[in-house]
Amino acid sequence: MSKPSEEEWSKTESLASRTWSRIKIGKEAIISLIIFGVAWQIVSFFTPSYIVPGWQVIFGKMLTLQPNQIYVTVGRVILSLVVSFALGVLGAVIMYLSKKLENYISPLVKLIMAVPVICWILFAVLWFSAVEFRIFFILVIVCCPVFLIDILDALKGVPKDLRDMILSFRPTKTQYIRKLLLPAIVPAVLTSWKINLSLAIRVVTIAELVGAVSGIGFALNIAQANFSVAEVFAWTIVLIIILLAAQVPVSWVESKALRWRI
Amino acid sequence: MAIIRVDALRKIYAQANTSAKVMAIDNLTFDIEEHEITSIVGQTGCGKSTFLNILMGLEKPTSGRLIVDGVAPYEDFNSLRGKMGIVFQQDRLLPWRRAIDNAKIGLEVLAYPPEEQIKRATEWLSKLGLANFLNAYPSELSGGMRQRVALARALCIDPKIILLDEAFGHLDEVTARKLRKDFLELVYSTKKTAVFVTHQLDEAIEIGDRIIVFGKPAKVLAEIRVDPSIKEDQSKIQKMRQEIQQILDRN
Repeated sequence: MSKPSEEEWSKTESLASRTWSRIKIGKEAIISLIIFGVAWQIVSFFTPSYIVPGWQVIFGKMLTLQPNQIYVTVGRVILSLVVSFALGVLGAVIMYLSKKLENYISPLVKLIMAVPVICWILFAVLWFSAVEFRIFFILVIVCCPVFLIDILDALKGVPKDLRDMILSFRPTKTQYIRKLLLPAIVPAVLTSWKINLSLAIRVVTIAELVGAVSGIGFALNIAQANFSVAEVFAWTIVLIIILLAAQVPVSWVESKALRWRI
Repeated sequence: MAIIRVDALRKIYAQANTSAKVMAIDNLTFDIEEHEITSIVGQTGCGKSTFLNILMGLEKPTSGRLIVDGVAPYEDFNSLRGKMGIVFQQDRLLPWRRAIDNAKIGLEVLAYPPEEQIKRATEWLSKLGLANFLNAYPSELSGGMRQRVALARALCIDPKIILLDEAFGHLDEVTARKLRKDFLELVYSTKKTAVFVTHQLDEAIEIGDRIIVFGKPAKVLAEIRVDPSIKEDQSKIQKMRQEIQQILDRN
């Protein structure tokens, strides 16, 4: 295999630095986090450990957590988001191409979005006995409309000026979609993924807490039942780490696909 | 031989929120000969851009006939594939594409081989002085440079007819003059038919072999042939300018 050239290396480096620049935490943020950590530790000296456990207790607990629960939760989130995205894109394209269908589908989407997440969780528990399908249903019903609305808005937001420009070359429908619509909606798609990643991780935790026998939500439920505050905090830190780690690939794609914005 | 024939063309828009109708083009009739550079002048909002949109086949006329190279552009939309290029008032570059990729988008649509696309786009961008900016994104280019990319994009596909919609109107005078000169050289050397829409009379006289004066709504108020010899004579340009201005004022 040939060695990458200096130019290729510098490209890779600049891409890495752009990715990092999108996700890195500022100096002020680090200082405020340190202040928070120290304050928490001080409070823990004066309160019982079942109310505010010290960091050494929380991190000690983290070492004993079952990684299987993490894999289960992450797997559920990824699968549901991929399916939600596919359905969202399909729905958005259909609604974009047919105003009539949009008039039919749009009220249903608004209705679905108006139902509180906790109600969907209860419906799923009442309707479906299969645990995996229950969680999948909840995540898809919550995340899919967000993808759909974001993508539909982005499609509608492609400026008429650009549409007329490309139409002046008389493209086929496929060319019109591939050369104009798809690249034009990339920023909105990435933003939608960021929003949905955060939403899905919050929703899956509640869904597992109420209606599952595995996953981080379920583990939180057990920790709460055992009154293990340190374990609740340990799982919370895991959830935060998962969320931050999930933003890394999105930021990487963003820095690659949207470098024209810099 | 006329390559563009406009016959009793009308365009009436219905306003979105009321039943009121607005006439943008009223009984427009004229011909444009092959290899001719025609300037169309008129006040802002007189329907010049609407006419260009109909000419491109992007809008349907309400009545009348418009024939471009033997076909109706709206009805036979695909028949004119690759035959017409347009430069808009704003550059309308795709911000996610580099200059070269913007320039070759028409060639991509027309399915030219990839190496031919790059060759042609590079050639045109180089002719227009952008050889060192092939890989620049639009956000990295000045207004004049962006408009040059837009010009290259239109010329890359080697169209028979090139349309310009106030293409140099928002540029500073120095840049606009340079671009007009470049454009004229390219059009004469490649023997294209050009339709140049503007509201600036000096620009119309400088570019056109013939000037068509539009009233408001768009209808032909006058057709004036421009003798190439007067283009160097400021007093004659001034006289023609006044003549056109009077026609517009009377309307």
